[in-house]
Amino acid sequence: MKKYVPNSLFFTAAVIALIVLLRFLNWLPLSLEQGIARKYSSIEEVKAKLNIKKIYAPSYFPENFAWPPYEIIAQTKPFTSVTMKFRRTDRMSSTLVICQSDTAAPLTDSFPRMAQLKESITYPLKGRQALLDVGICRDKEPCSSMTWLEGRYRIAVAVESPPFELIKISESMLH
Amino acid sequence: MTATIYSFFRLPAGIYITQSCFHSLIAVLIVNRAISSWDINSPLVRQRFRIVIIFISMLSCPLYQLINPERGSVNFRLDTLFDSSRWLNLELWDKLPLSLVFIALLLTTSLIFLFQEMVPIIRHTTESGPSPLDWQRLEDQSEIVRGLEHMPAERAVFYITTSDDQILFTRTGKEPSIYFSTGLIEELTTEELQGALSHEIAHIIRNKRPLLIIVFFFRMMLFFNPVVLLEFRRIVHDEEKICDDMAVESTKNPQALAESLKKLYHKTYPEKTSLEQHGHASHLEDRIKRIENNSAQNNGGQWGKFIFTVIVIAAINYFIV
Repeated sequence: MKKYVPNSLFFTAAVIALIVLLRFLNWLPLSLEQGIARKYSSIEEVKAKLNIKKIYAPSYFPENFAWPPYEIIAQTKPFTSVTMKFRRTDRMSSTLVICQSDTAAPLTDSFPRMAQLKESITYPLKGRQALLDVGICRDKEPCSSMTWLEGRYRIAVAVESPPFELIKISESMLH
Repeated sequence: MTATIYSFFRLPAGIYITQSCFHSLIAVLIVNRAISSWDINSPLVRQRFRIVIIFISMLSCPLYQLINPERGSVNFRLDTLFDSSRWLNLELWDKLPLSLVFIALLLTTSLIFLFQEMVPIIRHTTESGPSPLDWQRLEDQSEIVRGLEHMPAERAVFYITTSDDQILFTRTGKEPSIYFSTGLIEELTTEELQGALSHEIAHIIRNKRPLLIIVFFFRMMLFFNPVVLLEFRRIVHDEEKICDDMAVESTKNPQALAESLKKLYHKTYPEKTSLEQHGHASHLEDRIKRIENNSAQNNGGQWGKFIFTVIVIAAINYFIV
């Protein structure tokens, strides 16, 4: 019993040291490789730090969405991907997600998954063949998404609303 | 190439393999620290701590996923304690992905498992058992068998064969049997032979425990995991010490068991040529020293420390993806 308390303290100190070491090892790759996925505060910062020349952002933005994006996650290793999330002014949850990634890259899991797909059609989007999906999201809200290829990228836009706003937003991303 | 490797580590199998390896590594670090901090010497308790590593390695990833299906998401990974994909996506000299090095480690471990563990088991299973012509069943009235009556278990069947070699091995199954040679009887005194046989009986008793069978099954499933490969060997070493302690407890003659091990040790390893032989020999020396120092202790307990350690491992591993 005499030894129990100091021994336990020694064990606890070792566990704390391990947590600190893990934190350091988690940070180290970020300092070694700029292109690893991380959060950015603005689109300009992504362009500057990752040397991504073109980031597709909408010029039409519905009034009830808050600009700028509240979260930007970007990477260039092992593939290029930029994900922007926007909130409605009256809601805290993410309601508009725009993903731009290499065509070979898998779709990020930040992109909302539909709980029930109601309709999937090919939509002509300013000369591109876009795939328009309409359905119900997990929180039972109507949601829609549009995906198309743009040069080396695949662009995907999802919104928690019927497709009318989505089409306008998507069209405004192409000039 | 990089895209293919990356895709593999995004598949459920890739995620499971990666997390199993990292979780077991963290578990080993914490368990080793717990054992040394609290000065845990009982092989029974040490083995219990080590078995947890196998269970964590096998079950933690699916359990965490059940608790939080979003655990693998980008957002969880960005804010977590340690994200393995950051390291796996790094490229050495902008050419060699670290994930490829990790895959090479998994393959090497799998090959070691196959050739050092599976092939001997398959060979042992497919080889025909000892011929009844060569082996003679030892009657219960024999002096050696009577000397083992104090062993607290259903009795094993003893077989003896005429051979100058020192043969001693056990077969478990429906009728647990212990086989030994006349060469062994000539080499060892009756007390030493009883010590060695008591150790084998202890193996028969312990091999019936379902926990050890589950651990062995999990170990087979985790053939790719280098940490589990090493830890399972430590569990086996602890098992030998537990059986030594059980033998000493029943014969009350530690010196006889130590002497029998010494004699077998000098016969088995007259000169140690390979690294593996060095490993076996050093383990045997450690066992002999332990028995001679009378540090045998098969007391269990220490459950508070055990539970605390498991909680710490589970909490940290939750944030390792």
